[in-house]
Amino acid sequence: MSKVDRTVPPVIITPSAGSFPVPAMHELSGGVPVYLLGTGTLDLLRVEFVFNAGQCMEDVHLAASTANAMLTEGTLLHDAMSINDLIDRTGAAFTHMADKDTACLIAVTLTRKLGEVMALAAEVLFQPSFPATEFRMLMEKRIQSFRTNRQKTSVIAREEFYRAIFGGDNPYGRVTVPEDYTSLTLEDARRFHSLHYRPSNMYITVAGKDPEKALPELEKYFSCGGEEKWNKPVYPEIIFKTASPGRLFFEVSNSVQSAVRVGWRGITRQHPDYQGLQVANVILGGYFGSRLMHNIREEKGFTYGISSVSSALREIGFIAVVTEVANEYREQTLEEIRREIKELATVEVGFEELLTVRNHIMGEIARTFDGPFASAEAIRGLIDYGPDPDYYRRFEEKVKTITPGEIKDLVATYYNTDNAVEIIAGAK
Amino acid sequence: MISFEKHILSNGLKVLAHYDPSTPMVTTNLLYNVGSRDEDPGATGFAHLFEHLMFEGSDNVPVFDTPVMLAGGENNAFTNSDITNYFITLPSGNLETALWLESDRLKGPDLSEEKLKTQKSVVTEEYRQRYLNQPYGDLFLLLRPLAYKKHPYQWPTIGKDIAHIQNADRKSVTDFFRRHYIPSNAILSTAGNVKPETVFRLAEKWFDDIAPGTPYTRNLPREPVQDERREMTVHRRVPSAELLMAFHTGGRTSREFYILDLLTDILSGCDSGRFPGILVREKEIFSEADIYLSAEIDPGLAIVSGRLREGVDIRTAEKAVRDELNRVAGEQVTDAELDKARNRYESHQLMSFLSAGNRAFNLAYNELLGDANGINTEKEKYMSVTAEEIMECSARTFTEGNCSVIHYLPETL
Repeated sequence: MSKVDRTVPPVIITPSAGSFPVPAMHELSGGVPVYLLGTGTLDLLRVEFVFNAGQCMEDVHLAASTANAMLTEGTLLHDAMSINDLIDRTGAAFTHMADKDTACLIAVTLTRKLGEVMALAAEVLFQPSFPATEFRMLMEKRIQSFRTNRQKTSVIAREEFYRAIFGGDNPYGRVTVPEDYTSLTLEDARRFHSLHYRPSNMYITVAGKDPEKALPELEKYFSCGGEEKWNKPVYPEIIFKTASPGRLFFEVSNSVQSAVRVGWRGITRQHPDYQGLQVANVILGGYFGSRLMHNIREEKGFTYGISSVSSALREIGFIAVVTEVANEYREQTLEEIRREIKELATVEVGFEELLTVRNHIMGEIARTFDGPFASAEAIRGLIDYGPDPDYYRRFEEKVKTITPGEIKDLVATYYNTDNAVEIIAGAK
Repeated sequence: MISFEKHILSNGLKVLAHYDPSTPMVTTNLLYNVGSRDEDPGATGFAHLFEHLMFEGSDNVPVFDTPVMLAGGENNAFTNSDITNYFITLPSGNLETALWLESDRLKGPDLSEEKLKTQKSVVTEEYRQRYLNQPYGDLFLLLRPLAYKKHPYQWPTIGKDIAHIQNADRKSVTDFFRRHYIPSNAILSTAGNVKPETVFRLAEKWFDDIAPGTPYTRNLPREPVQDERREMTVHRRVPSAELLMAFHTGGRTSREFYILDLLTDILSGCDSGRFPGILVREKEIFSEADIYLSAEIDPGLAIVSGRLREGVDIRTAEKAVRDELNRVAGEQVTDAELDKARNRYESHQLMSFLSAGNRAFNLAYNELLGDANGINTEKEKYMSVTAEEIMECSARTFTEGNCSVIHYLPETL
């Protein structure tokens, strides 16, 4: 075989974002929306039940996460051990969680076990019994992991950052204190559940091969009957105070590294700048070859990793540069972060770097829709923060057409180093 | 059934290709048969440090990441005691870019003084971030040297001491490269939308001119049979006590592995397992209790780890675990438990096959174990495990003399 000329790289085919699968819409009786995504080759289905039951709906702190955690701790028909045994025997994987905006249960199952699994999903979602013993044990366990987390510099920095950005008096910025675990009652969790875990307050996504197979089962257990009709979600209004810039230091004695967060209030997905800002953020700190990684990890070796995110919850967005560095490199790292931001805010990005980032994001979008389960997650974002079925098509267009001038202006507008919130958690 | 084809280049590189037209992407997985078990006891952490250096560019690639990003891909790697594994996922039309990059860094990575210096610093920060600056982060730094006295599994992949990383010099790094980074010590696999004949043609094109090198013969000390309980107590700034118990087991390809893997699922693989049911819910001794296999290629460990509830004495906790282990050693698990574990295995295996990247890795890993087709035949090994085997194997494994224990306690103020 002739020797290959290694100095000539293979021709790169410009990556495209690919085709975006469009979910088929279906309504159960009473109007419960079901989104069907028929992709994939294996006999597996992923069914996700999403409730408007996140922390933003709480009247008592921790009620949302506790109500969600109690779903599999016993039902009116089965105690905790029996219900888990029934689920585990099917081989299905159940995961459930509550975050700031929503709460969900995801069931992944072999298609042939679908009937059993949907019956069990309905039982845990609508008939949990909230037994007192399990509630006590859950709260004790959560206090324990809370104490462990409060020793982690990264966790402290993250929570204090949200408090500084969103304000500590609303569900987005509230920092949990140990007393929260003792003041929440079983009744609070039960009430939260009965108010929010209802067919009228949910939607369902089904992804995998032949997802329509799930419809008869879903109709059986999750349709709205009688008086109850599906409602468009209504969210409480949250008033965010203005964030106060400046440095906040949290001492974690004996820590060998400091967790650092520098950031700002950002924008939500509806804002016209949101997608352009995503591109700018990738250049700064959104991939391995980003400005921050190159400078602070690959040139200086100060950290194992540094990244920048621009993200949004339903009501509010945030921008954050995040890293963990040796205590002795802390000030120098902050200085370099400011320098990289200023550079990007004053000098236009070059053609080659922009091309690299463009192609990288195209590949990311394609991977977002690679396979039924990845697609299901992407679709959820489009439903929760829209509805905006056209989001990725517009994003693709923005990535292709954004100019160096626009990027420079976006950084100058949203990454203002003079009014950043700086959080440091580490040793003095 | 995962179909694949295999081809071996003249320099010894094994190539495996799995075709899946349902995805627009392809993953290349390049597994090197070198891990921290191949390190010198005085220079540990090398395999992992070397993994970092492999991202620092090569003869014809100034910045490794740039072509991957231009091709719309993503890439990463990991190192463990047994292997160093690199993978790139990109649109299938750009497979050749991945092969160019992988072949170039196998042929001539940039091992300059400057790159070495920076990565030593990066790895030092990784050591701090993941092991020293985390509550309970040093548990496994303590367990390995307690459980192993001769075999190199006695040190963790990150290295037993930061000083080993900081003392790494160019000569030892270059020697390590020459010894282990040769085609016959590597397995390349692909999974995705590229046909095997194309994969083989392109692999020939980019890897064929790489010299075969001198085959490396692994000759590791065997771990002597442990016949006495080992115990260690440490105090750390943590809120709750942790119990760790480790028992020596057979290697990854032994029958014992499959028997114990299924048993650990019965004990703690799911919420209805015995540990969550008895140790957590019924007796309220632990807030979490788990048992799992280290799953290393040479004889490994079955590891019990449990976070104690407030106010429980660690000896009481250990006794409760011991009771459960004695129970599986003394009476057979029920048919219902065995059935459940088999069902769970079946569906979880299928779920893991959703990702083409996982399929590529598993093909290469099974080939390393002896036969890539293990990806298809392993299921039978699990399904054939009997309750008698589980009892007999438990009785042999969970003995007092085969046990290393760590009592990890909160500092008393």
